[in-house]
Amino acid sequence: MSASTRTRQAAPLLAVEDVSLAFGGVQALSNVSLEVRADEILALVGPNGAGKTTLFNVISGVLRPDAGDVRFEGRSIAGWAPHRIAKAGIARTYQIVRPFARLSVVDNVAVGALVHAPTIARARRDARDVVTFVGLGALADRPASTLTLTQRKRLEVARALALRPKLLLLDEVMAGLTPTEMDGMAEFVLGLRERGIAAVAGVEHVMRLVMRISHRIVVLDAGRRIAEGDPAAIRANPAVVEAYLGAPSAAP
Amino acid sequence: MKRALGVATIVATALLAIAAPLRLDGYWLNLAYVTVLSVALAYGWNIISGYAGYFSFGQIAFFGIGAYATALLVADERWPWIIAALAGGLLACALSIPLGYVMLRLRGPFFAMGMFGMAQMVRVLVTSIPATGAGAGLFLPPSFGLVPVYYWTLAIAAGAIGVTAWLDRSAFGLRLQALREDEHVAATLGVDATRAKMTAFALSALIPGLLGGGYALFLTYIEPDAAFSARLDLQSIVMAILGGVGTVWGPLVGALVMTQISEALWATFPQVYLMIFGGMLVALLIALPRGIVPAIAERVRRRAAVGAVEAAP
Repeated sequence: MSASTRTRQAAPLLAVEDVSLAFGGVQALSNVSLEVRADEILALVGPNGAGKTTLFNVISGVLRPDAGDVRFEGRSIAGWAPHRIAKAGIARTYQIVRPFARLSVVDNVAVGALVHAPTIARARRDARDVVTFVGLGALADRPASTLTLTQRKRLEVARALALRPKLLLLDEVMAGLTPTEMDGMAEFVLGLRERGIAAVAGVEHVMRLVMRISHRIVVLDAGRRIAEGDPAAIRANPAVVEAYLGAPSAAP
Repeated sequence: MKRALGVATIVATALLAIAAPLRLDGYWLNLAYVTVLSVALAYGWNIISGYAGYFSFGQIAFFGIGAYATALLVADERWPWIIAALAGGLLACALSIPLGYVMLRLRGPFFAMGMFGMAQMVRVLVTSIPATGAGAGLFLPPSFGLVPVYYWTLAIAAGAIGVTAWLDRSAFGLRLQALREDEHVAATLGVDATRAKMTAFALSALIPGLLGGGYALFLTYIEPDAAFSARLDLQSIVMAILGGVGTVWGPLVGALVMTQISEALWATFPQVYLMIFGGMLVALLIALPRGIVPAIAERVRRRAAVGAVEAAP
């Protein structure tokens, strides 16, 4: 607990402040606030439709919030273009994997590496390192369209890492993985901290892994934040149990 | 070995193209000019549509702008033709910036249709200026031989191929291809999509803009149907598709194959050549949906893979 009291005083890396967003008549996000510190893994938990992906879209600049602010390293980034936010140090993955199908695995990753690399040759070299790191080294020169779903998930992560982000938004990282692969992904997420990368991991199911990988948990339900706390507190929170954990279909 | 063969083919083609006016005249030189023009137009289209993935039906607008600007500058202002043609290309390129800023907000079929509409709009605007002679057209002093125009067009074609070859290996080209595959994802990976696609659009306007001036000089008379020729526009698109969209050599192969087949058919079956030609195109595109160049590349890759397996102990 001493670590968290120490960092609590420092300014957060990311601060989402009272963000609201509606699509037509549907209120996707209502006054959602959360903070992510530079050394933590925050789990963003909630059933399908809770607003996790919408929140990721707001943070990464794909959507502009109707109200509220997003601050990254103290600067307001709400309304910035996505490429500017990416360059500032926020990378993301997509829930539905979206590889550049006709480009090779290396080139998929090199696109992000270009943000730092002075030349394309350098970007491809950096990309190859990241591709090897996520375990796709043998497939580096294949078109991305030939990868399996699991491999595409890894490619998704590799592309984000190539940006050398300070904050990584992982949208539904566990979806579609086998239990063994989930353990591998959990190891990877836990390892981010040693690389100096903070993360927000959106997770719908698999509470067992949420408890393992996260330092803190924020629970969303129907676009509202209904709870926040460390894993033990969330497990005991009656609102969470009722809205989410208590639902028999949601438990793995 | 394979590389040497490729380089030799390119050098031979270039030498043939450069030497053509020394041995050809009349009909054959016209054919050579139209072939080179088609090659260059197909390359111009290939940048915005093949690499950036914005399928355009309106690049001919920039060809028309170049043609009319050159015609006016030569006929009324007595500018040297080469300066006038250059100015026409730069004007088309400059106009592509505001036009692209608006049009590139559209995507997919909406962009394609929007560009078609835009080309019609530009055509009406250009021909409503009294100085262009409206629908009646504009005569140029007929003092130019075809040879200088041929070399002008050949130089632009070579430049367009060079730019494409650079694009294919550059960081800018990779960004364009990423945005062709998925613009949202490319943006969240740090690609400034607006800047990249506007640059591509400007290049895809400069090339036809520069060619238009040459075409006006070739015809020595310019009117709306010639300057904004729907046939030239469609033809260059089909050539690029036939050869292979978004590849370095696709437009060249497609344009060479198409112009030669079309001329041969026209000479042999003047009444029904278009029917035969259309049928052949359909058959080719069904057999090779991604175009000739990707099909050949795929075959070479597969053979190399088989060779590697057989060579392994």
